[in-house]
Amino acid sequence: MLDGLSQLGTAFAGFMSPGTLFNVLWATFLGIVIGALPGLTATMGVALMTTLTFTMKHDQAILVLVCIYVGAIYGGSRSAILLNIPGTPASACSTLDGFPLARQGLAGRAMGISTTGSWLGTLFGIVCVALFTPLLSEAALSFQSYEFFWIGVFGIVIAGTLAGGDPLKGYIAGFLGLWIATIGQEPHYNHQRFAYGWTDLAGGIGLLPALVGVFGVAEVLQAMRAPAYRVTSKAVDSIFPRIADVTKYWRTILRSGAIGTFIGVLPGLGEDTAAWSSYAAARRASKEKEKFGKGSVEGLMAAETGESACVPGAIIPVLTLAVPGSAPAAALMAAMMIHDIKPGPMLMVETPQFFYQIIAMLVIADMAKLLFGLTLVRPLLWILLVPRERLMPIIFVLCTVGAFAITQRVFDIYVMLFFGLVGFVLRELKFPMAPLILGLVLGELLEQNLTRGLVISSGDIAPFFTRPVSGVLAAITIFSILWSMPPAQRRIRAGIRGVFRRPQRAD
Amino acid sequence: MPQPEPASVLPHEEKLPPRTDLWTAAVFLAAGLAIIYASWRMPTYREQLGQIYTAPGLVPALYGGVIVLLGLWLALRSVGRGALRAGAGGRPAPREGYSSMRLAGAAALCLLFAVGMVGRLPFWMATAMFVFLFILLFEWRGGQAWRERARPIVTAALTAAGTGIAVVLVFERVFLVRLP
Repeated sequence: MLDGLSQLGTAFAGFMSPGTLFNVLWATFLGIVIGALPGLTATMGVALMTTLTFTMKHDQAILVLVCIYVGAIYGGSRSAILLNIPGTPASACSTLDGFPLARQGLAGRAMGISTTGSWLGTLFGIVCVALFTPLLSEAALSFQSYEFFWIGVFGIVIAGTLAGGDPLKGYIAGFLGLWIATIGQEPHYNHQRFAYGWTDLAGGIGLLPALVGVFGVAEVLQAMRAPAYRVTSKAVDSIFPRIADVTKYWRTILRSGAIGTFIGVLPGLGEDTAAWSSYAAARRASKEKEKFGKGSVEGLMAAETGESACVPGAIIPVLTLAVPGSAPAAALMAAMMIHDIKPGPMLMVETPQFFYQIIAMLVIADMAKLLFGLTLVRPLLWILLVPRERLMPIIFVLCTVGAFAITQRVFDIYVMLFFGLVGFVLRELKFPMAPLILGLVLGELLEQNLTRGLVISSGDIAPFFTRPVSGVLAAITIFSILWSMPPAQRRIRAGIRGVFRRPQRAD
Repeated sequence: MPQPEPASVLPHEEKLPPRTDLWTAAVFLAAGLAIIYASWRMPTYREQLGQIYTAPGLVPALYGGVIVLLGLWLALRSVGRGALRAGAGGRPAPREGYSSMRLAGAAALCLLFAVGMVGRLPFWMATAMFVFLFILLFEWRGGQAWRERARPIVTAALTAAGTGIAVVLVFERVFLVRLP
């Protein structure tokens, strides 16, 4: 315990130099701007900055990325409140009550609630990271190939089921991502799969160019297709949060924090699911249900707390299992790998100081977010006034630089373009993008552990189902798939009702 | 004054016609079968005493098989929802304010920049030309007098020059990133 506190203190002390604090300030501000501008997402921000910070020292680079991530998820609420357009998908839920509050002349109060909820949510999530990461990491040390295989499949299925919309399309997107991850040299014989003599393709599809394509280029195209947005309210009342809003809704804050963190831990779901789930739970439990959707302080607080608690939550599986909890966390995980940090169960054994650094980074980013949330209202309004016609070409240039920078291959620019097109078309066809990216991230883990497990068991698939953790993960995965089939779901519901129905008394 | 509805941003909220799903299923079925075929043709390395479980085509074939099954599921579901009925292939209602022309223009310019300019021109010049053309294309209003047009042209030129210089300075000098 004391050793942990001492290491945490050392981590904080390491970030207290003027240069580091300068990095924190610009990165958090940039994150808030990225989040606030419709069409730019947290994933795109983290992916772009990953490529631009790779010459920095690893702790500085990851600190910048954590600040971007934390800032962007918060920044989305600004445009949700002022424009009725969420800056990031995570803030979609905040439009429900944030915009009605702004229309009532309470835009400042809404931003204050958003700042408070977001700050407390991230703090709640950080406490969970500190408490649960070591426990989960220790449990994961006993996992073998069978368990890691099921963690991969479970991630794809759960992301497909809960990412919103059609689970079937989520599964297809996930397995498409897994297949894309097999392109290039395979691990056993260095056979070039699906490359057909193309040397660049034999090197495989880079995660970051694909991420920049799906979340950058596709967003630029979507933004140019959509109608232009207008700031509806430039008058802002006091943005300083009211203590009464926190004390009155403390139960909502705790509940939303717990839901947000839990959703964050589940692979590939992310902040939008966290916000909607927290909002739905708050509405169910509220004494003021009628106010939801019409400017409810409680609703806005729940959405903001949930989405921001998800950020640290999504980092927990990255640190313990090398499985990202959200799309921006996938980019963050890629950045860690680029900087020679190996996420996964061995992280706490090999580089325990990094775990404490991550906690310190999250706390510092959360504090910077609070600072900017309470002070920079006008500059953010001005930024929202920049027409998209001037912003989007600059974003596309940044995407191009971002895709090129890591390996300096022009091929990666083409990968970015291809994934931008694929991402745009799949979105139009209502396919969620999180499972696709998760498939790309988990492809290597899944393949290695499947083949290793089969080799160890000489082709016997029984250990994939009979080992306790494997069995539970397999059961949840199969149940999730069955639950997404309406006929199977009806039968399961009927079966459950049959079990719990009281036996009829015989007359 | 009526309150506007909250923005709908989740990509799954509007339903597609069932026939669109049927076509999508057909594409994924074909893709899955192609993956299985390509995987089947990969060497197994049995002659080098390799185990069948490490054969390069095993895992992609598994994914191809799953994609085929999911494609079939999507096809059957769309047929169940009436994809083969007359009139099921209608286009979704156009969304207000959305423009396919703007989309095509943006896509063409992005393609021109990434494929036609990058690597062929100095990066600052390619960036400045792309940004200038992009702003000009989308801020150009027909029927304006040339004097009125001067302002967007100057704005586009200044933004383009500023971006070209800033990108090179920030990335090459501050972040030490090599540009294409």
